[in-house]
Amino acid sequence: MRKMKKKLSENILEKFSMDFLRNQVLKNAYGNDDTVIAGLDPRVLIGWYLFFGLVPWFANDLYFLLGSFILVMVTTILAHVAGLVLFLFALGVFSQTGYLFLVTLVFGGDASAIVPLLILTLKVATISLASVTVFSGLDPDKLSNGLMWYGCPERLSFSISYAYRMLPMLMEEFQNVLLSYRLRGNPPARDTFGGKVRYLIYEIKIIMESFYPLMLNTAKRSRTTVEALELRGYRYAATNKAVKKIKLSHLKVTSNDLLFLAVSFLWVVLSILCSTLF
Amino acid sequence: MNTVSKNATTQSQKLMIFVLTMSLYGLSTLFTELIPKFQVGLVEFSVEYFLFIPLTLGMLFDPLSAALGAATGELVFSEIMLGQFGGLGELEKFLTVTIGVYIAGRMVKNPKNHVMVGVAALVGTAAQLFMGMLVDIAKVQFAVEDFEAVAGLPESVFATEGFAFANDLLFSGILFCLLPTLYLVPRLYGKIEPLLGMAPRTAESPVAGLNAKVCIVCVLGFACAVAAEMLASSGTPLIEWEAEWAESETALTVGMVVAAALAVVAIVGILVKKNREKRVAC
Repeated sequence: MRKMKKKLSENILEKFSMDFLRNQVLKNAYGNDDTVIAGLDPRVLIGWYLFFGLVPWFANDLYFLLGSFILVMVTTILAHVAGLVLFLFALGVFSQTGYLFLVTLVFGGDASAIVPLLILTLKVATISLASVTVFSGLDPDKLSNGLMWYGCPERLSFSISYAYRMLPMLMEEFQNVLLSYRLRGNPPARDTFGGKVRYLIYEIKIIMESFYPLMLNTAKRSRTTVEALELRGYRYAATNKAVKKIKLSHLKVTSNDLLFLAVSFLWVVLSILCSTLF
Repeated sequence: MNTVSKNATTQSQKLMIFVLTMSLYGLSTLFTELIPKFQVGLVEFSVEYFLFIPLTLGMLFDPLSAALGAATGELVFSEIMLGQFGGLGELEKFLTVTIGVYIAGRMVKNPKNHVMVGVAALVGTAAQLFMGMLVDIAKVQFAVEDFEAVAGLPESVFATEGFAFANDLLFSGILFCLLPTLYLVPRLYGKIEPLLGMAPRTAESPVAGLNAKVCIVCVLGFACAVAAEMLASSGTPLIEWEAEWAESETALTVGMVVAAALAVVAIVGILVKKNREKRVAC
């Protein structure tokens, strides 16, 4: 069992490289501008998300939850979400409820635990898929504009735009620091089990230590960023209503958005109808 | 610059600290989402938190900006960017991380004092993990209907959550929060501050020191976190709301049919309008 797990974790480690990660994140952010979901108005999509992100928590009806789940699954497929995100989603759902079922069995529960846990799983899955659709399907600028329209703090929408811009650079820098540590270091042999553990500890130690130069570099960079922002009067613009109005004036609700809402509404109504009929 | 403003942090410096913590902690949470966990027996080895980054920065700079930056970074980088955003429930994580880092940052008066730095790092981590545990238990209790009725479920939830807390604190807390913080704080002290144009923190700095006000604010924040989580998990409002309807199921059915018909009419109407627009455009 331990051998299998080790093999599995090594497999994942091989696939998980910095470049792969960076590509996936970039693909997720900017790679799918031409999908149906990305073409929608961010305000409409966020409103749609508010329904599917909140209502499933309050509902306990199996048909309704199943219907919503199918709907958000379709929208996720339409949004062409990156594979990594879907993998994380599956992992997240399992770690939230799957293990609970196993532990319940261990503590003497029986199959009666399935139905409440299935409902819980459907709830969690629906909510996360709705968020995957909205937050991965939209490109970051649109998303932050939409959030701003709903009156989210300026800091949040600034953080989103900043994060997407800076992340590839930060990752590259981190990788460079990490590689230079590796070049100078002497990793322990990893033939035996003890050696493998030592190697893991060594790797983790390197990651920790490389945050020291990274912190100093990022401190310099964030000072430059903030000074550039200050030069353009960012802190005044952030609180000024007129600036916000100009910034958001390009948002427009089209017939596509209305169609999307109407189809979603129809689907939800049909699933509630199912639950009353059966 | 006079001596008074040397110790105080200006607004733009606060923004710098915010940006710095956000990008660094956000980057690290991206990794923790992806680094595999593995188990030896019952003990789970997972790199759960790179919490040492906001802890370090919170001890060196203004704790509130660092704490808010860390929480925002986690929200944006690992939740929104990877599409793991959990709605209202994220508020709980946001607030617990903020409170944990804030407490730790306020506790340290002199970053050169190793003992104080270590104690603060552990207290901050423990506070964050403990609040997370309380909220998690309450969450499952409210989300699963007839929680008590399912055999074995309550015990299993308490056991897994309590064990996860002890495990996280002993493993992640010491290895990934205590040791790196002890390594980084004395090294960065006096070096990183000039990069942001600030004087290093001393015992006279206004940001250090725990007092009653800080505690009250933290407790209030935790109450908000619990309230948000309960609101996100509890099923009571809709059950009552449904009860009024359920009196006549046929009414609900008819209502749904009418709503469906309306939706179909709306869809047809939009399609017709779209076609007309296209024709005009051609």
